[in-house]
Amino acid sequence: MALTQVSSNKCAGGFQKVFEHESSELRCKMKFAVYLPPKADTAKCPVMYWLSGLTCTEQNFITKAGSQLPAAEHGIIIVAPDTSPRGCNIEGEDENWDFGTGAGFYVDSTEDPWKTNYRMYSYVTTELPKLINANFPTDPDRMSISGHSMGGHGALICALKNPGKYKAVSAFAPICNPMQCPWGQKAFSGYLGSDRSTWEAYDATVLAAAYSGPQLDILIDQGRDDQFLTASQLLPDNLIAVCSEKKIPVVFRLQPGYDHSYFFIYSFMHDHIKHHAKYLNA
Amino acid sequence: MTFNCFQSETVTIRNRLQGKIAEMESFAGHLEEIFLTVEENFGRQEQHLEQHYNDVLQTLSQRYDERAAGLEEEKKGKLEALYNQLLACGQAMDASKELIETAQEVYRSQDKRLFLKEIDLTLATCLEFNTPLADLSDVKTMMDSINVVPAPSAPVINPQMPNSATQTSLRVCWSLFSDDTVEYYELYYRPVLEDMPADSTFSTVKVKETHCTVTDLLPNAQYELWVTATNTTGISPASEKALYMTVPSPPVIKQRECTSCPEAALIRWESGNTNPVDSYTVELSEMGTDGTESSVTESIVAVPTCQCLIQLQTGRRYLISVRAVNIGGPSVRSEAITVSTTGTFFYLLEDSAHPCLSFSEDGFTIFYGDEELPISAMALGDNTFTRCVAVLGDLIPVRGRHYWEVEVDDGTEFRIGVAYEDTGRNSYLGANNTSWCMRHILTPSRHKYEFLHNGWSPDLRITVNPVRIGVALDYERGTLSFFNVDLEQHLHTFHCHFGNYVHPCFGMDNPGALTVHNGIEAPEYTFI
Repeated sequence: MALTQVSSNKCAGGFQKVFEHESSELRCKMKFAVYLPPKADTAKCPVMYWLSGLTCTEQNFITKAGSQLPAAEHGIIIVAPDTSPRGCNIEGEDENWDFGTGAGFYVDSTEDPWKTNYRMYSYVTTELPKLINANFPTDPDRMSISGHSMGGHGALICALKNPGKYKAVSAFAPICNPMQCPWGQKAFSGYLGSDRSTWEAYDATVLAAAYSGPQLDILIDQGRDDQFLTASQLLPDNLIAVCSEKKIPVVFRLQPGYDHSYFFIYSFMHDHIKHHAKYLNA
Repeated sequence: MTFNCFQSETVTIRNRLQGKIAEMESFAGHLEEIFLTVEENFGRQEQHLEQHYNDVLQTLSQRYDERAAGLEEEKKGKLEALYNQLLACGQAMDASKELIETAQEVYRSQDKRLFLKEIDLTLATCLEFNTPLADLSDVKTMMDSINVVPAPSAPVINPQMPNSATQTSLRVCWSLFSDDTVEYYELYYRPVLEDMPADSTFSTVKVKETHCTVTDLLPNAQYELWVTATNTTGISPASEKALYMTVPSPPVIKQRECTSCPEAALIRWESGNTNPVDSYTVELSEMGTDGTESSVTESIVAVPTCQCLIQLQTGRRYLISVRAVNIGGPSVRSEAITVSTTGTFFYLLEDSAHPCLSFSEDGFTIFYGDEELPISAMALGDNTFTRCVAVLGDLIPVRGRHYWEVEVDDGTEFRIGVAYEDTGRNSYLGANNTSWCMRHILTPSRHKYEFLHNGWSPDLRITVNPVRIGVALDYERGTLSFFNVDLEQHLHTFHCHFGNYVHPCFGMDNPGALTVHNGIEAPEYTFI
């Protein structure tokens, strides 16, 4: 598949690049960001996939999250895709900030008019890794996944639905139980229809209750002063309860004074990359 | 008309009566006043009378006392005089009686002039001269010995040779710098004690050679020795006195006070001698993988105190022993201790333990029993924890990386971490700024975990309860991390510059048990 480089900036001894390609799953042009650490010059590196949240593109993470220095230190390639298909001209896709453009929710839609293009789950788990492994010095067996908010939901479900595929998983302020919160209900009914049983396949809390596979070790950071936590959009307690019951290892940290923004992500990015490095470099 | 007359008469009479009543009332009032005045006056009179008579009585009493005292004195004086006179009379009588008796005796004896004989008329000194016999025996001996072999001259005793002494014996040598014939030598020796009397007893050994090994001596003790030579003629004068010293007893390594880490070991021992020695020598040899002792040994000499911090290589096994050294030489080796530089190894400081804690025999498991201890058992040393049921570990003072594991039960409420040596023994681990710990609390609904320092903890939830916890301390990076060992899961890291050395600390908030595992190589993920 043809990749076009959109930009390249030297950063932390390595290179922060943005590429564009024609996606077969999403049937449109898609951009994604790739950080290549210094180690990538000479050796194959493991890859961490980062999924961003509502309204983001591939730019927010690479300019605001402070990921490059720790990625360079631990020799990890970080891939950050966009959050939804772009320029598909679907009616109503720009009407809401929390549904449609910039709000793909990392599902494979089954409903019209979304089902042709809105296939972010398959894009992230199948098409993108194939593309990355073919074009960059990666170790295809060492992949991990992380994300923020809607991207946190995406990271959790990708890991839970693909036991053994991701060597590490972590999340910042994830939407843990979308079936029970307004955001999730709005998105799932639009993308997946009114039959709630189809939503279960994309809900981290439900997936955790039924998980069987290699042991996970999930790190979650959540700002205590996050307005969306207060608004019951995130519901981490539900996930923790299920993981305690099912003995899925989770360390959940409630960080006092922190909100939902990239300032919060920046503050704990180092800890998350160290968490991923432990498993990716083992 | 008659009625009016009656009325006015009645009124008049009434008025008159009223007047009379008023008069009588005032009269009564006056009477009362007079009554009170009379009472007052008489009262005053009574008081005066009482006072006056009291004065009189007092004066009389005083006069009586004076007269009585006077009489008493007179009586005393008279009695004394009479008594003295009586005594004098008695004495005179006795003297007279004696005189009479003596006279009667003289009268009775035949020779009336006998009493005159009491004068001693003999001469004080003897009239003859006392001439002692001249003693010429030593001149005779000297004359006799002109043709005989002389007694030997004094031998010269050698100073102590290095490495010639043992714990209980001394090899003494001397020489004779003349051609004198000697039949045998006699070696005298005695221990030099602090407050030794000048003529304390000594022992002797008779030998034919010019050397002798004296045995049955005390270790690490100084002895005074001298030697004489004897032949048929006699004994030589004694040689000069020499001071020899036996070698010390070997030290005893205190197994439970030795600690190690990947780069070093701290060995502590007891001197093994009641009196001080000059120094200690520590010897170490590396053990091969097949358990045999390598021939390579290293010695550290002139160690001044009973402990030594030794630099070692990581991942090896060593045999370490100690010798005590004095002027006499080194002692035999102490019993050796095996030290492994895999991981960090330490025992618990049992004298810091709260009285409610008891220890397993190997010293690595602590038990918090739920029986009430009697007050007498709560006798506390300066070093023991008094509130928090806790104990410290004896971590080697090396600012490197250290790792150990703690095994607990699901239901044990524990506090594990590190603390400065001087952390308050009256306070709880984690509640002050001199200790850092992971704390497990059991509530009716769930397990709660805190990472405490200075009373503050971050807000965390952990879904799988750790029963084997890895603790990783990195002095240089200033980190203290906790892991669920079974899952290789990182739980939390404290970031703190440790200004002083810290000790591992272990505590329990409810009855239970806790086992410390150390000497373990730190897993890779602990020090990323």
